Amino acid sequence: MLPAIIVVCALFLYPICSSIFYSFTNKNLIRPTYHFVGFDNYVTILTDKSFWNAFFNSLKWTVFSLIGQLLVGFTAALALNRVKHLKGAYKTLLIIPWAFPSIVIAFSWKWILNGVYGILPNLLVQMGICDEPPQFLTEKTLAFIVLVLINVWFGAPMIMVNVLSALQTVPQDQYEAAEIDGAKKWQSFLYITVPHIKIVMGLLVVLRTVWIFNNFDIIYLITGGGPAGSTQTVPVYAYDMGWGTKLLGQSSAVTVLLFIFMMAVCIGYFAVIGHWEKEDK
Amino acid sequence: MRRRQGRVGNAICHVYLLILTCIAVFPLLWILISSIKGKGELTGNPTAFLPKTVTLDYFKHVINDLNFIVNIRNSIIISLATTAIAITIASMAAYGIVRFFPKFGSFMSKILVTTYIFPPILLAIPYSIVMAKLGLTNTRIGLIIVYLSFSIPYAVWLLVGFFKSVPIGIEEAARIDGANKLVVFGRVVLPLVAPGIVATAIYTFINAWNEFLYSLILMNDTEKMTVAVALRSLDGAEILDWGDMMAASALVVIPSIIFFCLIQNKIAGGLSEGSVK
Repeated sequence: MLPAIIVVCALFLYPICSSIFYSFTNKNLIRPTYHFVGFDNYVTILTDKSFWNAFFNSLKWTVFSLIGQLLVGFTAALALNRVKHLKGAYKTLLIIPWAFPSIVIAFSWKWILNGVYGILPNLLVQMGICDEPPQFLTEKTLAFIVLVLINVWFGAPMIMVNVLSALQTVPQDQYEAAEIDGAKKWQSFLYITVPHIKIVMGLLVVLRTVWIFNNFDIIYLITGGGPAGSTQTVPVYAYDMGWGTKLLGQSSAVTVLLFIFMMAVCIGYFAVIGHWEKEDK
Repeated sequence: MRRRQGRVGNAICHVYLLILTCIAVFPLLWILISSIKGKGELTGNPTAFLPKTVTLDYFKHVINDLNFIVNIRNSIIISLATTAIAITIASMAAYGIVRFFPKFGSFMSKILVTTYIFPPILLAIPYSIVMAKLGLTNTRIGLIIVYLSFSIPYAVWLLVGFFKSVPIGIEEAARIDGANKLVVFGRVVLPLVAPGIVATAIYTFINAWNEFLYSLILMNDTEKMTVAVALRSLDGAEILDWGDMMAASALVVIPSIIFFCLIQNKIAGGLSEGSVK
């Protein structure tokens, strides 16, 4: 017990405090000396156009990915819960994307979507849908959409598995009772299924929002934030600033802002979930 | 009427699941197929599905000439060490939370969950500064310490769910028979929770194996890199060859998938149990 507390404190509290500390300095990745600059870093960032670009990209990326993942994951779980045959086989195959390391996600999709040799662009040409291979990852809007879809592909299985296990905890006799009372399918879904899995869904939304918003690997490895910053999100922006231009102090300020925003979002979510939990009791 | 409706619904479900399965599995399939196609086939005929000739040349090239084997060894060492340390600490902590300090424990679990919302990029900066100060940049130990920071909280969270399922009656019976706390933990509780611990251990291993950001920041030396980062250095290199990249990807992703399939049922349960209660 105690070792865990010590480890967690040492490895979380210290970094947070030092991040906040560095965010008020002009710390550089290479130069050893630094001094206080007050709120300069924050002013610089908040007046930087590319920060706001990254911020709005992050919002779009999070909202669209989350909706996509929930939609696909939830419907897949409902379908899985209903079929009787091949359930295990579907489930095992459907969770495969979840096990993909981010670097392999990047490589496999970059290869599939490759503008010259990729199978998908070439197939589209062969089937006569496009005249020439579409450049999925180098055209601004298209690159963003493709990234969101890849994120849906990766994240939906996790939602599916968790919703499925929540669905299985719903007592079956309630459905039977509802059917005897003449309830329609959609009514028993709305009044039995939804209330039972509401809290699990809420927690999943929190976990996923945080994960997607903070995600660095997928975007960095597939497009690196390009083309022309169209897929740059806040974590990628912070990385480029810290390790690209070596401005660790400013980069710290970005991550502190990111953290504060994340905290605010989570507090909002937890207020809603806490309210639901009270209703249950 | 109702039955026929049910059958149609069932068919729709099957079609839907079948389509999703194809999309889910395709990248893996395509990696494997691309990695064994003969020379020139990848660029010669991009839309051909099956290989004309099968070859393991790409695998040989990646393992022998690109020295990928060193990176695989690094990843195995780092992931195993992380898993062993994290599970030892986390199982004691989880047991303590469940049995001895339930009140404080639920508070503690909440703290542990909040660690999840820390952006990895926020931690990356202080970690890299601290590791540089300690002289642990570019060392396996440095990376293991960093990995412990996120794997311990998560492991504790999962394990609390598993430990809760042990009925306290069994422990009390053992205590009455004269066993001390340590014996109860080692001989009675651990064997009961063993499947959960194994599942958590595998999950920890996969996460360490798949991790990218910290490894990118802390390991600059090709000899010390983990597979994930070494793989990235293939991208954009002069020798860039999609066949090599696919063979290397296959080597990285296959262990992950095998382990994942082994524990799929355990993890889902653990996640919702640990979080709901």
